[in-house]
Amino acid sequence: MMRPAAGHWFLLPWFLGFFGLTLGPALASLVLSFTAYDLIEPPRWVGVANYVRIVTADSKLAESVRITLLYVVLSVPFKLGFALAVAMVLNRGIAGLSVYRALFYLPSLLGASVAVAVLWRQVFSGDGLLHQALLLVGIHSPSFVSDPDYAIYTLVALSVWQFGSPMIIFLAGLRQIPRDVYEAASLDGARRFQQFWRITLPLLTPVLFFNLVVQTIDAFKAFTPAFIISGGTGGPINSTLFYTLYLYQEAFGYFRMGYAAALAWLLVLAIAAVTATAFLTARRWVHYEA
Amino acid sequence: MRLNSLTRRGLLAASAALAGTSSAHAEAARLRLYWWGATDRAERTNKTSALYMQQHPDIAIVGETVGWGDYWTRLATQAAGRNLPDLIQMDYGYIYEYARRKALLPLDGFVGKQLDLSGFTPSSIEGGKVDGKIYGISLGLNSTSLVYDREAFAKFGIGPLEWPVTWAEFARRAAAFTKAANKPGYFASSDAGGSGPALDVWLAERGKLMFTADGKFGGDAADMSEWFSYWQDMRVAGGCVPPDAQALDKADIDSSMLTLGKAAVAWANSNQLVGYQALNKAKLDLAMYPAGAPGTKSGQYLKPSQLMSLASTTKSPDEAAKLLSFFVADVEAGKILSVERGIPGSKAVRTAIDPNLDPLGKRMSSYIAEISDRVRDLPPPPPKGAGEVLAMLLRTNETVGFKRATTADAAKSFVREVGEILARA
Repeated sequence: MMRPAAGHWFLLPWFLGFFGLTLGPALASLVLSFTAYDLIEPPRWVGVANYVRIVTADSKLAESVRITLLYVVLSVPFKLGFALAVAMVLNRGIAGLSVYRALFYLPSLLGASVAVAVLWRQVFSGDGLLHQALLLVGIHSPSFVSDPDYAIYTLVALSVWQFGSPMIIFLAGLRQIPRDVYEAASLDGARRFQQFWRITLPLLTPVLFFNLVVQTIDAFKAFTPAFIISGGTGGPINSTLFYTLYLYQEAFGYFRMGYAAALAWLLVLAIAAVTATAFLTARRWVHYEA
Repeated sequence: MRLNSLTRRGLLAASAALAGTSSAHAEAARLRLYWWGATDRAERTNKTSALYMQQHPDIAIVGETVGWGDYWTRLATQAAGRNLPDLIQMDYGYIYEYARRKALLPLDGFVGKQLDLSGFTPSSIEGGKVDGKIYGISLGLNSTSLVYDREAFAKFGIGPLEWPVTWAEFARRAAAFTKAANKPGYFASSDAGGSGPALDVWLAERGKLMFTADGKFGGDAADMSEWFSYWQDMRVAGGCVPPDAQALDKADIDSSMLTLGKAAVAWANSNQLVGYQALNKAKLDLAMYPAGAPGTKSGQYLKPSQLMSLASTTKSPDEAAKLLSFFVADVEAGKILSVERGIPGSKAVRTAIDPNLDPLGKRMSSYIAEISDRVRDLPPPPPKGAGEVLAMLLRTNETVGFKRATTADAAKSFVREVGEILARA
């Protein structure tokens, strides 16, 4: 039998990483958020000035918050709905299921990658694929990625397309629902939709809840697609200026590290608040009996 | 990032440094050299370093290069870590910030000793001065320039863009060009309403400075309203690309409207002719930005396209200054570097390389020569926050282009935001 001490040794690398690379820098950024720091000169203590500016004097921030909320509110429900729909189709037990599963999961694996965002830019740009396709049916479309009316929706579409990971989780959840419940329901004359509404959805709520929380957090943190598609500007006219992109510009574009650190902590608080709200309301609609 | 350890010596030195041992052999210095640019520049720079190491076996040079997009982030991070490279390729827009924050070494003490500037005119040294001291040496002279498809202009009988073409005349010709070309999605010019250098030239031709010596914006709402209107009229007349096309431009050569085949004129810098020509089939030429009232000077000026600075933290200032001197004043180094970074400041180097220039190099050289007595003096340094102002100009021009704001409202909000940005910086 192994002595307990050995276990701690095996955990050491993880602890080093956690304290050195995660907790340490996080605490440092908390301290920095009370300073003005341009990377070259040493940080200068400014008290709560950064936070005061955030809540009182930053109209660009207000815009980035609006864009981010719009993105979260649109992308999460559409993505979850789409993921659930695909999971239900795959759950019917069609031939070659594992192949489909892998294929549908693929975009999610590529999801965070720069290449996909670059591809997206090509598809939705001025003479991109979509534009050409629409021309075939006689529609002259604008350049979606570079038009402030549409740019944010291309980002939502990109997010929805990466439905693989919630889909896999939904699929696992669907498999857990006992067959005989449906059989009993059919015998009682329940139609397809009634079965979905009264059986599938309630029994799936724990999985739905998990997906909702994870995807919401992810959506708040989204950065790469907006960065690539707008070339780092958040344009046109700030229409893709995600909160994270604004934070990045403040930090690495204009070297206001202290202000950016304050923005980062505000994001942490906002995500924590949203997640807490989700957990508090969960009691009312998540059914854990099974 | 690419690490270019050029010789086995260099590698040895690098690994010795990594291992934390002081090197056993007689090595006077190991110098880190950092620059941005494309592959062609990296090859020329590395060859020059190799030549220097051949002549100075006791010096090891380690090159580091990244693209422009990541360059300043990386440099600032290195500054924060007290780990700046010894030699730093610098930009005119950044040298003030770095010099004033004491990240760079004043070079005056080296001049005439380690650093040979005998072939430089006083004005070409001026561009590297901050608060009266030299902090950077020009790696090449350039100026703003239109890069354009000269043959297309000739074909449509709209003539080459010979100085002076006034702003009004340029708009007229641009509209005529688009009409004559009669090709959907193809326009005379890119939309430069959001371009800082273009606005800078335009303001100067109205007798104003974009940024004054005391760090203020030199124009007013009336100027800006007229500027935004000029470009709005261009869009309406078809002289420049529509806003949703222009928004695809990521401020680099690859995504410029000229390279994407959407426009025949790019608003660029003269040393970028090589880069543009490499990506364009049409034969390109240089022309000056449009002119002001007849008889007035151009708003353009000659500037160092890049400078070379030394870090204030360098452990071998003398050796670093000697290497810097090699890059800017040595004839053999000049033959390798050529005009890729602009026209060299040293007369001896210019004389040595002139006969062997290829046609593009010759054109850049003749462009600089022919504009020299038409241009104004170097304007005061851009204030802190200038970069943010340029980003805001781009955005404000888009609000007009996409019809989110009238030109008058855009002008007002621009002037207000400039004030806020510069006050905060």
